[in-house]
Amino acid sequence: MSQDLDQLKQEALDRLQTVSSEDELGAWHRDFLGRQGKVTTAMRGISELPAEERPGFGQAVNALRNELQQAFDQTQDKVLAASLQSRLESEQVDVTLPGRKPIPGTLHPVTRMIREITRVFGLMGFQTVEGPEVEDAYYAFDALNIPQDHPARDVWDTIFIESDQREIVLRPHTSPMQIRTMEQIEPPVRVVVPGRCYRYEALDATHEWHFHQIEGLAVDTNITMTDLKGTLAEFARQIFGQERKVRFRCDYFPFVEPGVDFAIDCMFCEGSGCRVCSGTGWIELLGAGMVHPNVLRYVGYDPDVYSGWAFGMGIERIVMLKYGIEDIRHFYQGDVRFLSQFNRVLA
Amino acid sequence: MKVPVRWLKDLVPVEMSSEEIAQRLTMAGLEAEGIEKIGIDWDKIYVGTVLKVDQHPDADRLVLATIRAGEIEQTVVTGAPNIEAGQKVAFAQLGARLVDPYSEEPKMMTLKANKIRGVRSEGMACSEKELGLSDEHEGILILDEDAPEGAPLRDHLGEDVIEFEITPNLVHAFSMVGIARELGALAATSVTFPDLTDLSVAEDTPQLVDIQAPDLCYRYVGVVIENVHVEPSPSWMQRRLNAAGVRPINNIVDITNYVMLEWGQPLHAFDRTDLAEGRIVVRRATDGEQMETLDHVHRKLTSDDLVIADAERPVAIAGVMGGVDSEISDDTTTLLLESASFNMLSIRHTAREQKLRTEASSRFERGLDPNLAMTAARRATALIKQLCPNATVTEIADQYPAPREQKTVVMPRSEIKRLLGVDFPDDQVIGVLQRLELSPKHVENDGQPGIQVSVPTYRNDINLKADVVEEVARVIGYESLPETLPVGQTAPVMIDPVLEFVRGIQDSLSAAGMNEVITYPMLDDAELGLLNPDGDEMPAQLGLARRPDIPFVKAMNPLRSEWRQMRPTMLPAILRNVAENLKYNPLVSVFETGRVYLPEGIDQLPDERRTLCAAIAGTFNPADLHEHAREADFFDLSGILAQLFEEIGAKNVELRQGSHPSMHPGRAAEIVADNTVIGIAGELHPIVAEQFEIDRNQRVAIAEIDLPLLMELGVEKFAYRPVSRYQPVQQDFAIVVDEATPAGSVQRVLENATQPMSTSVQLFDVYRGESIGEGNKSLAFRVTLAAPDRALQDKDIDKIRKRVEKQLKQQVKGALRS
Ligand SMILES: [Zn+2]
Repeated sequence: MSQDLDQLKQEALDRLQTVSSEDELGAWHRDFLGRQGKVTTAMRGISELPAEERPGFGQAVNALRNELQQAFDQTQDKVLAASLQSRLESEQVDVTLPGRKPIPGTLHPVTRMIREITRVFGLMGFQTVEGPEVEDAYYAFDALNIPQDHPARDVWDTIFIESDQREIVLRPHTSPMQIRTMEQIEPPVRVVVPGRCYRYEALDATHEWHFHQIEGLAVDTNITMTDLKGTLAEFARQIFGQERKVRFRCDYFPFVEPGVDFAIDCMFCEGSGCRVCSGTGWIELLGAGMVHPNVLRYVGYDPDVYSGWAFGMGIERIVMLKYGIEDIRHFYQGDVRFLSQFNRVLA
Repeated sequence: MKVPVRWLKDLVPVEMSSEEIAQRLTMAGLEAEGIEKIGIDWDKIYVGTVLKVDQHPDADRLVLATIRAGEIEQTVVTGAPNIEAGQKVAFAQLGARLVDPYSEEPKMMTLKANKIRGVRSEGMACSEKELGLSDEHEGILILDEDAPEGAPLRDHLGEDVIEFEITPNLVHAFSMVGIARELGALAATSVTFPDLTDLSVAEDTPQLVDIQAPDLCYRYVGVVIENVHVEPSPSWMQRRLNAAGVRPINNIVDITNYVMLEWGQPLHAFDRTDLAEGRIVVRRATDGEQMETLDHVHRKLTSDDLVIADAERPVAIAGVMGGVDSEISDDTTTLLLESASFNMLSIRHTAREQKLRTEASSRFERGLDPNLAMTAARRATALIKQLCPNATVTEIADQYPAPREQKTVVMPRSEIKRLLGVDFPDDQVIGVLQRLELSPKHVENDGQPGIQVSVPTYRNDINLKADVVEEVARVIGYESLPETLPVGQTAPVMIDPVLEFVRGIQDSLSAAGMNEVITYPMLDDAELGLLNPDGDEMPAQLGLARRPDIPFVKAMNPLRSEWRQMRPTMLPAILRNVAENLKYNPLVSVFETGRVYLPEGIDQLPDERRTLCAAIAGTFNPADLHEHAREADFFDLSGILAQLFEEIGAKNVELRQGSHPSMHPGRAAEIVADNTVIGIAGELHPIVAEQFEIDRNQRVAIAEIDLPLLMELGVEKFAYRPVSRYQPVQQDFAIVVDEATPAGSVQRVLENATQPMSTSVQLFDVYRGESIGEGNKSLAFRVTLAAPDRALQDKDIDKIRKRVEKQLKQQVKGALRS
């Protein structure tokens, strides 16, 4: 019988030598070590042996089983390693082939800038609110200390809406929301108001009849012009970089007194003068000033108790300056080749 | 306003460069828009003396002039009729750069030696045009006799001209004297005022002027001057006028313009012999009254217009322009000089109605000081006497019914600190106010220290204490203000939920691959008519909106007729965008969260409704290594919308089969929340596409949704669901329903019936075939089920299947296929 076992062992090991795939591996295991395998069958033959030979034969079969199992394990490791190796080799790709990109979407650069600016002012305690674009002349002009027939009213080339009794306009600035906000709440007031505005203005590279502004308004006891300067400087440095210098100069807007023109040093020429800044070294960003006492009176705030400041800026201009965009008309032509450039996650 | 710097420095002798002057005034509120440097390119041009003038040997109309400029002596050939020996002229050496006098466009040329009729010309005696001073090219420019020979012309005639923007509040600075006052206050330098004639010696003749409309004319000074001699004004005056941008005409007209530039008071000179009865009546025009103004336009007037008339007819439109009938001519010897003050609103009205904005009207409509009228009359008279030594003032009338008095304003001393946030020493504040001629005085104000100022009548911009604070701040300089941040209470936090909602929608759609656009919110009827596939009329349904039975919100003065009314729908703008972008891009996927403007009736503000419009058209993966190209269709858009609704928690929003005039009849949906239509979606009708210049075979999926309604009706609060720790079970349901039953309804039944166990219900196949009977379809759903607290058993699944079966039968007449 032990002769049979030796023969079986030899047969098994010989065949194991030839195994080179996972399938052959499985077949070998089934044929020799499986439930119907030859080793198991050999063990069954034990019953035909005399009792005294049975223990020895049993041990021999078990030894054979262990030996074959070990040989199998080794071969299995080799075969699996080889097959993994060949898979890895066969799966090589050119990693410079294009990846599967998701389709990119973008926010409009004006939306992005509104978010950027309102975020900066939000951190300084300003709420964001919006208001109507089709507006009463009362809010657009009269309550802002720009009475009917005042020459200052010409500064805003206004688009008027057909009406009978009431003068209605497309708001030429976001300033009407100063009045609407103050009518609704008591001080302290700190709001920024983004929104569309309209002017009767021919279209060219720097003028749009349809554009966006952001208005800012702070009213309380103890709100001062140095606060205005500090707040605007903070804003400008957040948007245009910490190294920016700021300029505050006297200017006139009927709804503020004293009035301010706020500029930063030109980032294109670092203040030495170039085409963008008309050689002055300064770029005017916005108009501002202390809320005019007449305006405070209009909304029922006592100008002897409360003071405040307001500012208004064109958003497209800020975007153009920040990114060096040469023509304002790009914003509303809606060309996807323009819009899809504004896909940066970070500003 | 153009300010020649030499002239300015005559009035206020500051030691500052033009750049410094421009910068100081800019900081103080008078913005310099630029500095023109006359003579900056006058290289190789000198003051020369004409030594002799000889006839050209071969040409009658040419002369040979020998000109000396210091060391240089040259002979030039010239045809100038006015050249004479002994004159000082502008002599250009070879190589000088001059304006080409024969070019239509402004063009520079370099002077070269050339032979004219056989005689070599070595340089040129220049005309004003060649020097760029004016358009004068009849003869050469003759310089003053005392011009220093040999000096560069630039030093003698060069001039810097600063152009200032005068804001509407700055009427007091709308003149040379006014700017000199400003600069004087800033630079602490006194102003040297020009000479004025004393008119009190002339005979007071009140009947010379009759003001019949005292509400529109506050003052009228009329001065009669005899024995004037009309001729060109002297070169110094012409030069200043040219530099300031006013064309010289004759000495009398030039003087009125010169005084207007100097003092800001427009004047007018009439030939008195042309005035009926030689007198002036200031009155309203009669309706339909006509006159011809100096620009030779016949003007029709109304009773809203103020005119200057003689005893019979209008001779000028008050404050705007004179008439041709009484124009100063070369023969004029007796003048009536007008220096008057008018109601600013009236002048503004007339100038606007007549579309005639003049130097005079632009000053009057800012509100001139009536006290200035006499100053200007005296100054003009002084100049007339200077230029016409024989002239005599014979009569004067000063009609001034209500003389304007000085105002006083009291500013509490604490106001500077309260408004500015910083204070300045008392002597500095008082010094500034003194330099501004505001005569400051310390006073007690409600028991507190204050400063009282007396405001000169020419300062109509100082009325309130805040105005005084601004004067102090701008003269000391805004640049000296420190930067601080506001202190005190922060306002209570209120976040506008609508803005947050819109922001979420923008984020969701851009994350889904769409480009946000912003379009013009105005259009016209024709554009709305394009939404109709069956004609030009605008359809009953305009995007989401119903066509209103009241007029749209319309602009009275649109920039273009196609931007006439505020849009009731965003569809046309987005379709225009799609059409344009399809020209350059294989796939267009855009959205806008703008507004539509629904009319509420005349004299009412419209309902500005925040609206979403989104569209997709074109080809996905047109050239892709990994994916096949595929045409975008309705389901690309509806999928993005489904994702959006999920992300904003709009669980109750569903799409229902619908119909819409602008949409493909078989591919149109209503977007419904709480049984209210809040939006539309569909593929565009091919004819409508074509009308928007899109190929009719190009599918365009487009949707318009009312955002306030979506927010109000659709959005549910977020409810967290713990993740089950147990293995989820996937169950497939094949459901047979009538062909007409929308899949969405079946899906909804399945979702409800499998709650709360189902975490996902996914339709993955639609099958039609004999085995399920004609007119039916089978919808295959894969449902993922899990319980939070246990592994699901077969009996749980059985229970769910039974419930599904029952509800399908009841609600959609559906059956489970086994
Ligand atoms: Zn620059």
